[in-house]
Amino acid sequence: MEVLLYSLRKVIAGIPLVLGVTLISFLLIVYFGPDKTYELVGKNPTAEQIAEVRSQLGYDQPFVTRYVRYLQEIVTLDFGNSESTDEKVSSILARTIPVSLLLAMPGFILGNGLGVALALVAAYFRGGFIDKLIMGSAAVGMSVSFLIAIIAFQILLSSSDGLNLFPVRGWDTSTPLAYIQHVTVPTLATVFVALGYNTRFYRAVIVEEMTRDHVRTARAFGVPPARIFYRNILKNSMVPIVTRVVFSIPLIIISGSLLLESYFGIPGIGKVTYDAIVTGDQPVLKAVVALTAILFVVAQLLTDICYRLVDPRVSLR
Amino acid sequence: MTAAALPVERHGDSLWRRALRKFRRDRVGMLALLVVGSYAVIAAGVMLGWWATGWAEISGPKWAPVSAEHWLGTNIIGQDIFSRAIYSTRTAFEVGLVVAIGATLVGAVLGALAGFYSATWVDEIVIWLMGVLDSVPFILLVAAIAYSLQDSPWSMHIAMIVTFWIGTARLVRGEVIKLKGLEFVESAHAIGLNRLSIIFRHILPNTFHILLVQATISFVAAIKSEVILSFLGLGVKDGMSWGLMISESTFEVLAGYFNNFIAASVLMFGLVMAFNMFSDALQDALDPRTVKSP
Amino acid sequence: MTQPLLEVANLTVEFATDAGVIRAVDDVSFTVTAGETLALVGESGCGKTVTGLALMGLVPSPPGRVVSGSVRLQGKELTRLDEQALRDIRGSRMAMIFQEPMTALNPVFRIGSQMTDVIRRHQGLTRRQARQAAVEMLAKVGIPVPEKRIDEYPHQLSGGMRQRVMIAMALSCGPQLLIADEPTTALDVTTQAQVLELMTELQREFGMAMILITHDLGVVAQTCSQAIVMYSGRMVEQAPVQELFARARHPYTAGLLASIPRIRERQLQQLPVIEGMVPDPLHLPEGCRFAERCAKAKDYCLLAQPELKPIGKTASQVACYAPN
Repeated sequence: MEVLLYSLRKVIAGIPLVLGVTLISFLLIVYFGPDKTYELVGKNPTAEQIAEVRSQLGYDQPFVTRYVRYLQEIVTLDFGNSESTDEKVSSILARTIPVSLLLAMPGFILGNGLGVALALVAAYFRGGFIDKLIMGSAAVGMSVSFLIAIIAFQILLSSSDGLNLFPVRGWDTSTPLAYIQHVTVPTLATVFVALGYNTRFYRAVIVEEMTRDHVRTARAFGVPPARIFYRNILKNSMVPIVTRVVFSIPLIIISGSLLLESYFGIPGIGKVTYDAIVTGDQPVLKAVVALTAILFVVAQLLTDICYRLVDPRVSLR
Repeated sequence: MTAAALPVERHGDSLWRRALRKFRRDRVGMLALLVVGSYAVIAAGVMLGWWATGWAEISGPKWAPVSAEHWLGTNIIGQDIFSRAIYSTRTAFEVGLVVAIGATLVGAVLGALAGFYSATWVDEIVIWLMGVLDSVPFILLVAAIAYSLQDSPWSMHIAMIVTFWIGTARLVRGEVIKLKGLEFVESAHAIGLNRLSIIFRHILPNTFHILLVQATISFVAAIKSEVILSFLGLGVKDGMSWGLMISESTFEVLAGYFNNFIAASVLMFGLVMAFNMFSDALQDALDPRTVKSP
Repeated sequence: MTQPLLEVANLTVEFATDAGVIRAVDDVSFTVTAGETLALVGESGCGKTVTGLALMGLVPSPPGRVVSGSVRLQGKELTRLDEQALRDIRGSRMAMIFQEPMTALNPVFRIGSQMTDVIRRHQGLTRRQARQAAVEMLAKVGIPVPEKRIDEYPHQLSGGMRQRVMIAMALSCGPQLLIADEPTTALDVTTQAQVLELMTELQREFGMAMILITHDLGVVAQTCSQAIVMYSGRMVEQAPVQELFARARHPYTAGLLASIPRIRERQLQQLPVIEGMVPDPLHLPEGCRFAERCAKAKDYCLLAQPELKPIGKTASQVACYAPN
């Protein structure tokens, strides 16, 4: 009950954020966005034809009216049909989001899991050779552009100049093997690029927890390192770790894989977004923006609830 | 009341002097600075027209190998890869500097205002704006800004500034909230200084160490984002950049020609790595907590 | 003469910092007999906390390191023990409590969980027995409704209550030596007195020895039998507390005593203070470290460090060329 009430309050508190995101996207995509009039009118249009099209598009309406209509579309989740393919926007989302999740999940899990693991090792050997080695490699990884990593892994693993193990591009999830074949190179590139940042962040968090007073207390009472590690360090590090993980979820659902999908020609939500950007497909862009904003509010809610689970000092009020 | 301002001045001075001493002893940091400096000289040379002037000319056959004439060979239409890579250094500095300065300025001003007026409507609005901009996917934002600016060559820079100021503003806000409770600010209030002058002449200068580090971080982020945006057709419009070279090379590598890819990647990696190291060393040197006495 | 419980000889601890090596504890030797209360007194940064940590083998390393010296508990050398063996001693035969009760307990576990964890480890009790022991111990340190409080989280207790929990945890395995690092400094004045009283009471009841690390000579007078005064990492004076208060031999001790607020025969204009500053640990003087602030310093005080020497036939020792 406490959680339910809290969630309700949080959702209400998230309304300004959603309004803000929709307002900005409305301003940029619709209000100052490309004028579609001349794409729709025929050749040598008359003034009446132009006016008619403009009124169909709602361009003659005042700002507030147009924005309210945009909001209505978001609230009812009715974005209409894509301007380029005429497919229903909701069915586009339903088709492409699972693809993006399948593409992004392995890299996301490995990137964070390995990041935490390496950070623990580095923090344990703090100041020593292994720490320097891990953090040095992290610095190198952080300096490599995502695009460069993608191309390099593609050359090494998928081209005839390299090992030629995996398909160059495309997407196929019909069998587990096909899935693994297609997901490996994008995953490796993602992990390579994310690992440096993750390791650095998690190491900072863990080192901070390692130097807390209660860790010293536990040591002074003869608690063995493995138990201190679990009860004092890991448990207390969970709040920042959970925050980072949960807050990256909206991004991996929406835009995290945009580059991967457009590079490898994978039909996920990122590719759809990219195509919508290129063609100015407003219904799709609107839907994506709205979806992201909503996901962010949900992510915020989730992190707060996770805080409550992890840290008894946090109260859901 | 000058006495009240003195301790802070002294604190500032000793922070910077100590930081400089520490930075000089940091061999990795000094080496990184040297590398960044060399890149800057290359970029300045390009700007002054000393070298890499023929980056756009078709000066040889398609995919010519490495030779005395073409140090790194030529690309798919016979342009000299070496001069293109060198020319791109200028683009990287231009993008990096414009975005770093812009994002830091915006972040400093909005962060300071939010911090000074914390828990008032000013603060609320800045926090709301940060949350909103954080929730719009970066690439969508760039694309949308590119549209509304009618494909202006600056849309990429503006989009990055609009996104990158947030991190700086968060840190500055926190620091200003801490600083405004200190004695020297109270005494500035007491002698009746005007609020804006308190914020911008007395408080903000004390966050300069944060701004400096954040500027280096924004610089690196800008260079890295340029590559991806250029590949997606949202980046550099005219001119040449490492991002454009790498996008060009995506076709070439599948045909087995790697010069374009390697030239741009290695040069870019060198600059980003050196800048990252420099940024770390700077942060270390400016961290007041580094000497932990027992 | 009884066999001492703890013998510390020539203990030296160093810290590596960016600016150079700092010797936080320099050649410290003392003994503690069973049941005795020893005070380690000095201002912050004088090395008293690091001494306490070194006894427990808890000097943070890196950057810290016990460079030389020996620590013997009932004849057993601790500085050469491995971590495993030390862990069995920590919390069971010697325990330590710290200054900050606010941060010294793990915020994400219940008090009971943290206490029973320690009790079970050292006593080999079942969960239920350990919980019973924890409740009894909490009752002993004066926590009301302990069977309820045991299921609370640290943040639900006041500072004084948390310090009582720390004491209960420290005493739960019946240690022979308790090291208390400024146990009352973070508490308000009335709570301070209560906690101190509780500690002396329990000390008598359990018959354990205690090393009380403090900067507060008032606390020393109330609770301790022996006192060691430290300055800039070195021992400058050691004496039975009564003698120390009757006649401080070292000028630094005298200065500390003079600066305690108390009722005096003649009203003072201002409390006396010790002028000057503690020497920079990176650039220690060759001579007496207190010479620069000492009103009685002579030229020879600046040449070499005075050794800690017994004074006549008394039980006191002082490191000064011209003791009072």
